[in-house]
Amino acid sequence: MVLLSVNGESHQIDVEPEMPLLWALREELGLRGTKFGCGIAQCGACTVHVDGQAVRSCSFPVAAAQGKDIRTIESLSAADTPHQLQEAWIKHQVPQCGYCQSGMQMAALALLQQNQNPSDEDIDIAMTNICRCGSYDAVRAAIKDAAGSI
Amino acid sequence: MGITRRGLLLSGAAVGGGLLLGVAGLGAHLATHNRLEHQRKSQSGSKGQSLSLWIRITPDNEVVLLVPHTEMGQGSQTGLGQIVAEELDVDWEQMRIELAPAEVAFANGAALEPFIREQVSPPGWAEGMFQNGIHRIADLMSLQMTGGSTAIRGTGWLSMRAAAAAGRAMLMQAAANEWSVDVQSLSTAGGIVEHQDSGRKKSYGDLVAAASKLDAPTEVDFKDITQYRIIGQAIPRIDVESKVKTQAIYGIDADVPDMKYAAVAPIGAFGVEIDSIDNDDEILKRRGVSGVYSIDKGVAVVADNPWRAEQAVRALKYSAKAHDNKAVSSESLEADQRAALAGELSTLFEKGDVGLAMADAGNQVNAEYFVPYLAHATMEPMNATVWQQDGKMHVQCGVQNPLMARKKAAKVASLDLDDVVLHPCTMGGGFGRRVGVGITNDPLDWLQQAVQLHQESGEAVKMTWSREMDMRTDVYRPMVLAQFRAGLENDGMPRFWDSRHYLATQDVAAPAPPYRIEHVKVRHAGEPQVVPTGFWRSVDFSQHGFFVESFIDELAHAASEDPLTYRLKLLGVNSSEARALRAVAEMAAWRSEADAQGRAMGVSVVHSFGTTVAQVAEVSRDASGMPKVHRVWAAVDCGLAINPQSIQAQVAGGIHFGLSAALYGKCDIQGGAVVQSNYHDYRMVKLADAPRVEVKVLASDGEIGGIGEVGVPPIAPAVCNALALLGERQRRLPIVV
Ligand code: FES
Ligand code: FES
Repeated sequence: MVLLSVNGESHQIDVEPEMPLLWALREELGLRGTKFGCGIAQCGACTVHVDGQAVRSCSFPVAAAQGKDIRTIESLSAADTPHQLQEAWIKHQVPQCGYCQSGMQMAALALLQQNQNPSDEDIDIAMTNICRCGSYDAVRAAIKDAAGSI
Repeated sequence: MGITRRGLLLSGAAVGGGLLLGVAGLGAHLATHNRLEHQRKSQSGSKGQSLSLWIRITPDNEVVLLVPHTEMGQGSQTGLGQIVAEELDVDWEQMRIELAPAEVAFANGAALEPFIREQVSPPGWAEGMFQNGIHRIADLMSLQMTGGSTAIRGTGWLSMRAAAAAGRAMLMQAAANEWSVDVQSLSTAGGIVEHQDSGRKKSYGDLVAAASKLDAPTEVDFKDITQYRIIGQAIPRIDVESKVKTQAIYGIDADVPDMKYAAVAPIGAFGVEIDSIDNDDEILKRRGVSGVYSIDKGVAVVADNPWRAEQAVRALKYSAKAHDNKAVSSESLEADQRAALAGELSTLFEKGDVGLAMADAGNQVNAEYFVPYLAHATMEPMNATVWQQDGKMHVQCGVQNPLMARKKAAKVASLDLDDVVLHPCTMGGGFGRRVGVGITNDPLDWLQQAVQLHQESGEAVKMTWSREMDMRTDVYRPMVLAQFRAGLENDGMPRFWDSRHYLATQDVAAPAPPYRIEHVKVRHAGEPQVVPTGFWRSVDFSQHGFFVESFIDELAHAASEDPLTYRLKLLGVNSSEARALRAVAEMAAWRSEADAQGRAMGVSVVHSFGTTVAQVAEVSRDASGMPKVHRVWAAVDCGLAINPQSIQAQVAGGIHFGLSAALYGKCDIQGGAVVQSNYHDYRMVKLADAPRVEVKVLASDGEIGGIGEVGVPPIAPAVCNALALLGERQRRLPIVV
């Protein structure tokens, strides 16, 4: 049994300790906002927060997440009013196909929580997610817009 | 424009002429029965009244538009809504857009029309579809498709606009009848018909029942462009908010009762068949595993969690049968292409007399170019979920043409079409991977596998391909070798242009130079090779845009001319290529020499899918010789711009997509299979190496062009043309090896 705290709720699930967090979140807990893109920590589609750090859940075993505070994209979307980051994302019409965008937002959120006013270079270093649709210009603009309000 | 009642109300597909009448017109005719049936059903079932197949108006005056095109990020659903809102004369807030069901009634043979109108013979991209047998009636009926940048051009402008304008006329006529006034004395705004003299008003929602009983007008007046309030506005896309909040449901998010998970591994080489699975006993003992299967193009495991299934399939040991394809490699394929180009050639395009011109041309330039196979690598890997419910087989997946997918699923399962329900989802990228037609192979192989696994296991199955499976089981953008020769006059301008490339193109326009050259010959040789090929964003233009725009640049250099000026000298001053080039040169503050920091600019222009895009890329090489693309400017002439923001996003996205391919993209073939497996060896441009892109949509009242693909072709030549100023010219892609 693995005990996970996800978005403030505790869950006990019967999975192997080495199961990647991604698959536990998506198919054991039904939190499917977090996406699968590569499975080898290359694309960032599966980005979630573990104790405030952005991690790639496809390559992060559930055992390592036990007892930690796990936050997924659903924690941003749950509120009635959109999160400031999401407002910026809507304003700049960031998503195209949208598939990479939950990971993109979680990576951006971790950056902005640690750095209120990131430079272009800070953004380049922190944001290593792949967007196959090429929404990069809009991602950069939205991060800058949201900076300071998070 | 005259419009018949049937052409309008049934589909709009009959608007137009030429070959269209033989293709889409026929489709509309045969679909008549089914369409009427569907209209009746939709009128009885849902709230509100149908005005035509696509448009329903509710008592609350909400306009429901049923769009046959699935959403993969191109924003065409919003654009179609804008066109209808404009001609129907309702406010944007009144519009509600829904995806049309995967029914024959909504098949859009009209999607082909823009191509047919542009190219007299053969109809470009559609040519491939004819070759693939799509012209057969049965297949035509499945063309509920999204691809080839056809949604706005075909469905929207040619069909829905007419349906909306006629709808407005019918609503006004209904009011005129009720009030016994002349229809000329009425006006509309915000979904309300008003009689100015008396001040009487009535909403569309209150008029639609009467209006739908009227005959559709045979002539409709369209709004003048100066009256537009919604077309041309950067209306926020309807799909954005749900995607930001991750409420959009992709195929991979399927959740049905008692669902099991399937993982698949490729067998090893294209065309190879499985001989035996050697350790299934052992695999079946693993936790959660319920079945091991040998299926079309793969081996599969079904388990109670996707990770368990994937781990198990990776542990599966199997042997494949012997096959000649195992000897195939990139090298052997390229050698075969080169040999073919030295052999007998077919002429694709010819003008003047190249043979004669060649004899007395002075300075000759020769060049050979090469582009590799490319995978689509959509962000969401291929997947489908198949289950039984209420006596029918249900399929949930993201596809560019749902109806064709539904037919495919029915065929694989040996079921009647009526016994299959398809639930189309938002797609995590399409780029041609999720269409129902390929060049040599059927791209819906993944759907076939999912249906097979459902049938063999007897379970509700969600099959998800690993990235590795996805990259190694694609319908690839073809690898192409091309050879060019040109002769220059004394003034440096080209006297002849002679090119040969491997493989007939889907679109004859792609390899032909847009420039005014007296003697031109474009030839090709060869048959499709063993690697499966399909449509890849911008189709032939991704290869041939690179070749043609690189070679013209080489000629400019050979003539010691500024490549921008050289191109302009060879283009009509009012041509859309010249307009776009002048605009992009101004945006970029064009310079033909590298600056003090070692940054050089390269230019290119490609007309594809009815749209012209000119680009300038600013590039440098770092100390280790790695190229860095700093900025890209793009000028877009796509005719009337429905939604400038969507256009900018699509073109900028196309540039990053094309840049990933130009810098890093290749699928090498070894042992008859693709070597690359995931994003670590099939690299993508990321934010740090993504250039700043500036897109300008040129004001134009020309015919509407496509937008989803057109950003892609010019970027590779623009970057390589810049690199040529910094050292060696890059004639083989990718640039970084
Ligand atoms: S799925 Fe985890 S990084 Fe790609
Ligand atoms: S929006 Fe499609 S992958 Fe990023």
